[in-house]
Amino acid sequence: MNVKTRKKTGKIVFYVLLLLVAVIYIYPVYLMFMNSFKPFGEIVRDAIALPSKLEVENYTYVVDKIDYFRLFGNNVIITVTGIVGIVLFSSAAAYMLDRRKSKYTRIAHLLIITPMLIPFQTIMITLLKAMNVIHLSGSRLGLGVQYWGFGIPMATFIFYNFMKTIPKELDESATIDGANTHITFFRVIFPLLKSVTVTVIVLDVMWIWNDFLLPLLMVNSSNETKTLVLAAYTFVGQMNTKWHYAMTAMVLAVTPSIIIFIFLQKYIVEGVVAGAVKG
Amino acid sequence: MLKSKRKRKEMFDTVLYTLPAIILVTVMMYIPFVMSGYYSLTKWNGIAKDAEFIGLENFVTIFSKSKDFTNALLFTGKYTLLFIIFSNVLALFLAVCLTKKFKMANVLRGVFFIPYIMSMTIVGFIWKFIFTQGFAKLADMTGWAVWDFSWLGDPNLAFYSVVLVGVWQSLGFYIVLYIAGLQAVPSDVLEAATVDGATSRQRFFKVTLPLLGPSITTCIFMSLTNGLKVFDIILALTKGGPGGSTYSVTLQIYKEAFQNNNYGLGSAESIIYFLVVLIVTQVVLKFFSSREVEL
Amino acid sequence: MKKKLLSVLLSTAMAASAFAGLGVTAAAEENEIYMFISSPEYADAINELIDAYKEVAPDVTINYETTQNDYPTLLKAKLNSGEVPDIFSSTSGKEIDVYREWSADLSDQPLAETMLPSVASSMQSTEEGSGIYGLAIKGNYFGIVYNKGIFEELGLEFPQTVEELTAACEKISEAGYKPFTSGFSEWWVFKHVWQHYLAAAATNADTTVAELVAKFESGEAKVADYPELYTNFFDFIDLVVKYGDDKPLETALENELAAFGSGEAAMVCGQGAWIEADALAIDPELQIGFNGYPVTDDPAQCQVISGSDQALRVYKDSESLQATLDFVNWWYTSEYGMDWFNNVAGVVPPVKTDAESEFEVIKQGSALEAEKGAAPLGVCYSTDSWHQVFGELMQAYVAGTADKDATCAAIEEQWAAIEGAQ
Repeated sequence: MNVKTRKKTGKIVFYVLLLLVAVIYIYPVYLMFMNSFKPFGEIVRDAIALPSKLEVENYTYVVDKIDYFRLFGNNVIITVTGIVGIVLFSSAAAYMLDRRKSKYTRIAHLLIITPMLIPFQTIMITLLKAMNVIHLSGSRLGLGVQYWGFGIPMATFIFYNFMKTIPKELDESATIDGANTHITFFRVIFPLLKSVTVTVIVLDVMWIWNDFLLPLLMVNSSNETKTLVLAAYTFVGQMNTKWHYAMTAMVLAVTPSIIIFIFLQKYIVEGVVAGAVKG
Repeated sequence: MLKSKRKRKEMFDTVLYTLPAIILVTVMMYIPFVMSGYYSLTKWNGIAKDAEFIGLENFVTIFSKSKDFTNALLFTGKYTLLFIIFSNVLALFLAVCLTKKFKMANVLRGVFFIPYIMSMTIVGFIWKFIFTQGFAKLADMTGWAVWDFSWLGDPNLAFYSVVLVGVWQSLGFYIVLYIAGLQAVPSDVLEAATVDGATSRQRFFKVTLPLLGPSITTCIFMSLTNGLKVFDIILALTKGGPGGSTYSVTLQIYKEAFQNNNYGLGSAESIIYFLVVLIVTQVVLKFFSSREVEL
Repeated sequence: MKKKLLSVLLSTAMAASAFAGLGVTAAAEENEIYMFISSPEYADAINELIDAYKEVAPDVTINYETTQNDYPTLLKAKLNSGEVPDIFSSTSGKEIDVYREWSADLSDQPLAETMLPSVASSMQSTEEGSGIYGLAIKGNYFGIVYNKGIFEELGLEFPQTVEELTAACEKISEAGYKPFTSGFSEWWVFKHVWQHYLAAAATNADTTVAELVAKFESGEAKVADYPELYTNFFDFIDLVVKYGDDKPLETALENELAAFGSGEAAMVCGQGAWIEADALAIDPELQIGFNGYPVTDDPAQCQVISGSDQALRVYKDSESLQATLDFVNWWYTSEYGMDWFNNVAGVVPPVKTDAESEFEVIKQGSALEAEKGAAPLGVCYSTDSWHQVFGELMQAYVAGTADKDATCAAIEEQWAAIEGAQ
C-alpha cells in the first residue's frame, strides 16, 4: 500500500514537472498566438502583456488580403506532390541500400545521402538557372517535384536506418512463397514501415508546408502559385514591419500543419515490427 | 546459367529502385553545386554578365587575407558540439517521457514540435522580446543577476543564446524521431526483461538503449548536419552580431557571396566547407554505425 | 527482357518525365511588365497604383512581386537565370554603378523633368558622373526624431551643438526619462548616424562627401584626422550608450519604437521619417519633433538629411522596355501618379509637387531644409556591403571588444578592402 502511494505521488510529481517544462517550452509560441490578437501599437509596446481587447480585425483583414483559401490550396498541392514522391523514392531506395549490399549500393548510398551536407544558400543562383532549363520553376507541381530532390537524402537516411530493424527473414520467407521483389517490397516490407513512414511524412509535411526560401525563389511571382508563408512575409519590411498582420498570417499559415501533426500522431502505431515477427 | 540470370535480375531491381533517387538528387543538388563550383575559380560579383577566371586565387585568399572564415569554422564547431549534446540528450529524455501512456501525451508531443515549424522572423522577434522584456520582468520577480545579463548583446553570451534558441527550435524534430524508434522496440523483449526482474532503469539502459542504436545514429547524424548548416536561427536572432561574434560558416558564406558581392570567393568557401563537413560526418557515421546492435 | 527495359524506362522516367510540361514559364510579352522590388511595406500602395494604371493602359499587365527577406540574393538569382525583372530595386548612389550593366538611363525620359534634383543626383552614375539610372518610390528625411512633449515639459529647446546635446541629456535623465533609445542591434542605424558626421567632416575639411568617401576607399584618409568623426561621432555613440537603453546591443527597431512610443525615451537614434506612423500607432497623442544631429559646435551644421536611398531600376534590354518606360513616366508625370506619393503611399514625394504632407517629420524636415539647408545623403556613396561591416565594427566598439583606435583602424582597413576593390 505504502509503496503504491509512493509510486503514485512519484508519478504525479513527474507529470507536473513534465507539464511545467512543456509550458515553459510553449511560451514563445503562445506569445505568437496572443499577439496576433493585438493591434500594432500594443504588440510593439509590450509583446508580453495580454491584449486589452481581442482584435479580430487582424484575422478578417489578413484572410481577405492574402487570398487565404487559394493559397491554402497551393500549399496542399505543393505539399502532397512533394510527400508522395519523397516517400516512394526514398523507401524504395533505402530498401535496396540495406538489403543488397554491394559496391554499387555503397556508392549509391553515399551519392544519395551526401547532399544533406550542401547548404541550400550556396546553390541558390545556379539552382534557379538549372530549374529554368528543365521548366520546373514557376509552377506548383514543379516545386513539388523539386522537393523530391531536396527531401530524398534525409528521408532515405531515416528509412535506411529503420530498415535495419526489420528482420531479413521476412524477405526470405516471402521469396520462398514465390513473391518477386516488387510484391515483397510493396506488400510485405512497406506496410511494416508504417511508423517510420508516418515520421517521414510528419517531418516533411512540416518542412514543405512552412518552407520559405525555395518557394520564394520558385513560385513567389504570382498569386496563382504563391504559398501561405510567402504571403505572411509580405508584411515584413526592413524598416516597417506590420507585426500584427505578420503574426496573424503566420498563425494562419502554421495552424493547419499543427492540426495535421496532431492527427497523424495517432497513427504512429506501437510495436508494429514486434507483432509482425511474432505472427 | 540460372544463377547468373537471377543475379542479373537482382542487380536490375537494385538499380531500378535506387536510380530515381540518384537522378533526382543529381538534378536538384549536384548539378547546381557543380555549377557554383565553377564560380569558385572566378572573380565575380554575382551581378556582372561575365565572370573573370582567376584559377585558385580565391582559395588562397580565404586563408591568407582574413580570419573571418577560420573564426566562423570555430564558432560552427563549438555550436555544433553543444547543439548535438543538448538536443539529443533532452530529446531522448522527453521522448521516453512522452511514450508513457497518459492522457496528455499526444498533445504534449505537439507542444514540443510546434517551435520547429514557426517562421524564423517571428521566432527572432519573439525571442528578442523575451530576452529584453521577459527577462527584465523575471529579474524584478526573482532579483537574480542572470536575468540582467545582456543575453543577445554580449558577444560571449550571444553564443549561448543562439544555442538555447537553436535547441528549443529543433528539439521537437528529434523527439519525433526518437519516439518512432522507441515504438519500434519490441514489447516482448521488454516484457521478458521485466519478468527477469529488471528495474525500469535497468530496462532502459540495458535493453532499450542498445536497441535504439539506429535511432541514435539517425538523430546524431541529423543534429550534426543541421548544426553544421545552422543559418536561419542566427539570422533571425543576431544577424551574426553583436560585432560579428556569431557568424557561422554558412552565414559567412552568405555574407561573402551576397552582401559583399564576392560570389566567387563565397563559392570557394562553400566548396572547402563541403569537404570539411563530408569528412566529419563520414567519421561520425562510421563510429556510430559500428556500435549499433542489430536485431 | 523487353518488358523489363520498358519498366526501367518508365520508372527512371517517373522522375525525369515529370519535368516536362509542368513548368509554366510565361513567355515574355511586350505588354507584360515584371516588377520585382523590395519594400513590401508599400505593397498596398503599389497595388493601387497598378490598378490605376490599368485604367490608363488596359492592355498592359503588371506582375508585381515583393519581398524584403533575401531580396539582393533573389535578384542576383533572377538576373543570372535569365528571368530578369523589368523593374527591380537597389540602393541609390554607389549601387547605381553595380547594376548599371542591366539598367536603362532615364535622363531623356519625361520623368527626369519632374524628379527632384536631390533625388536625380543620387541616381546618377558616379563613374560616368551623369545619367539617371533609376527612380525613387520615396524621398526620405534622416535626423533625430524626438518627443516634443518631453522637451516642452522640461523647458528645453532642441540642442544644436554637441555641448547643448550633452546638457540636454543630463537634464532629461534627471527628470526621469530616458534621453536616447539606441537601436544599436540594427547595423543600418550606425550608417544613418554616421552620415551626419561625415557631412560635417567634409564641410570642415573643404571637400565634398563624395571625395572624402573616395579618400577612405583608396586608403588615404584616416579617421583620426577628422575630429568630427574621431571625436564627435564616437562621443555621440558613447553618449547614447551612457544615456540610452540598458542593453543597447539588444535594442532593435521595435524596441526603439516601444521606448519612444510609450513616452519613455526622448530621442530616437538612427531613424527617420519612416517611424512616424508606427510610433503614432502606439500613442496617437505623441507629439513628434524632428531635427538634425548636433554634430559640431556650429549650430548651422545641425542639419537634417534628405534624399532617396532606394532606387527602382528599369531593365534596359527588356522585351517590354517601351511599356515599362510608359508606366514609370506616367507614375512620375501624371496627376494621379504625382499625388500618389502623398495621398496613397504617405511618403516624401521624390517629385516636384506642392502637395502638403500630413506627417510631422516631413513637414518639419522640409521647413528645416528651407531654413538652413540639408546635408548630403552620405549613405548613398557607399554600398550596403560596407555598411553592414561598419555596423558590426561599431557594435564591437559598443560591446567593448574593440577600443576606439582599434575600431578606427578596422574601419579604415575594411572600407578600403570592400569598396576600394569594386
